[in-house]
Amino acid sequence: MSIALRSAPARAARVVSDADFQKFREFFYRKTGIHFDDNKRYFVDKRLVDRMEATGAVDFREYFVALRFEREGQELQHLVNAMTVNETYFLREAYQFDCMSNNILDELVRLKPRGERLRIWSIPSSTGEEPYSIAMHLLEKWPGIDAHDVEILSSDIDTQVLDAAQRGVYSARSVANLPKSWLDKYFTRRGEHEWVISRDLVAAVEFSRVNLSDPADTRRFRDIDLIFCRNLLIYFDDQSRRAAAEAMYDALRPGGFVCLGHSESMSRISALYRVRRFADAMVYQKPLNGEAP
Amino acid sequence: MALRKSNPSPLHPVQPRQHPRDLLGLQQQLGDADPRQRRLAARDLAAHPQAALSLGQALAAETDGAVREALFTSLATLASEAAVQSLLPLLRSEDATLRNGAIEALAAMPQAVAPCVDGLLCDPDPDVRIFTVNLLGELRHASVPGWLVQVLRHETHVNVVAAALEVVAEVGSSAELPALRAARDRFDDDAFIQFAADLAISRIEAA
Repeated sequence: MSIALRSAPARAARVVSDADFQKFREFFYRKTGIHFDDNKRYFVDKRLVDRMEATGAVDFREYFVALRFEREGQELQHLVNAMTVNETYFLREAYQFDCMSNNILDELVRLKPRGERLRIWSIPSSTGEEPYSIAMHLLEKWPGIDAHDVEILSSDIDTQVLDAAQRGVYSARSVANLPKSWLDKYFTRRGEHEWVISRDLVAAVEFSRVNLSDPADTRRFRDIDLIFCRNLLIYFDDQSRRAAAEAMYDALRPGGFVCLGHSESMSRISALYRVRRFADAMVYQKPLNGEAP
Repeated sequence: MALRKSNPSPLHPVQPRQHPRDLLGLQQQLGDADPRQRRLAARDLAAHPQAALSLGQALAAETDGAVREALFTSLATLASEAAVQSLLPLLRSEDATLRNGAIEALAAMPQAVAPCVDGLLCDPDPDVRIFTVNLLGELRHASVPGWLVQVLRHETHVNVVAAALEVVAEVGSSAELPALRAARDRFDDDAFIQFAADLAISRIEAA
């Protein structure tokens, strides 16, 4: 950030007024899709003041102008990291899994030749909570699993989390959202605080290292029917986000779907997709051949 | 039926290619009859700085929306002077999709586009000047406030000034207040300019 360093003013000088908060909230929403309610005021103010201190900005106006016009987007990235809580757990944002089982998969199988398998890609896999949640949801909630084969691919740029995903050991907090019947069926308890996922589920997911921003990595992915790409694009800059949307578009079959995180909007990233509103969730669809986005 | 893995790997095998994945091959692929092939070529050309002119020429002729998106994204990735020169003619296009795509792509390359802004703000076509102000609203560059002040102080077309007021209302600071008042005085018979200038001033003074 190109703010000249100067002697640090008293923290009290770095305050966020109501107008500042409003201005920042609008800016941040446009850039990330993340909206802060009034009750998040303390959370937002504290992180803004921290970033003002870290950059040497004397007040909100100086900080905001520099943030608004910085060239590389680095300070915005710092801010995004500070303003988002990076956590994952089983059945996170489960309404999208409901949408998958209640609507998306049935629509997809109607488009497919009989006997052709469905392919679902979960990226980022992180430590495996999402791809395994998908697998369990399919087995427990989608009647079509008795008639159709499903292939689950899952990727991450971080090889350490991929290793962890394949070890499949989770904390009590990570599995807290799972129904007890699923926990009993798919996990083995280890000691007081750990749960180990069934090796059958680990074996059912194809893990791979992928940088979504690298076409050489993503061009190997083709004929995908459904992509879960949640809470990842908010960490990208605009250009990378757009390139990621392009990569997912080329990985999908015509008519395939993308599920983003609740605070993310494909409409602000790319004009390539159609918005589809189902009872459980809003998702994005690659148009069928010959169909306008 | 169940959860299955492909054997040995579900990933797409590398297929023999009609066009080689070098600059020349990809440029030829931009003219392929299959839009999917044109899209893939457009995406891969983002790795070739010499491809800006070809990408721009392809944009002018391309009718498939998905291929256009890939062409814009690749030009924005190149972010070079040549990429800017390929996009600028699209600001004069009658096709709003092409114009908006060009503005978005140009906004993604602030350093490359900056040397062209003064010229664009003097363009004889007021529509081009309006689109340039729209671009300034998205451009992350330290000179943006100065360019907006220039519009507020010297621009003669009311719609261009109105576009600038909208941007300044959002991102302006007290440094722009004199220029805002000057614009209000220059267009004192235009009710909208009075309203927009007052709004911008009140927002800045309240902050």
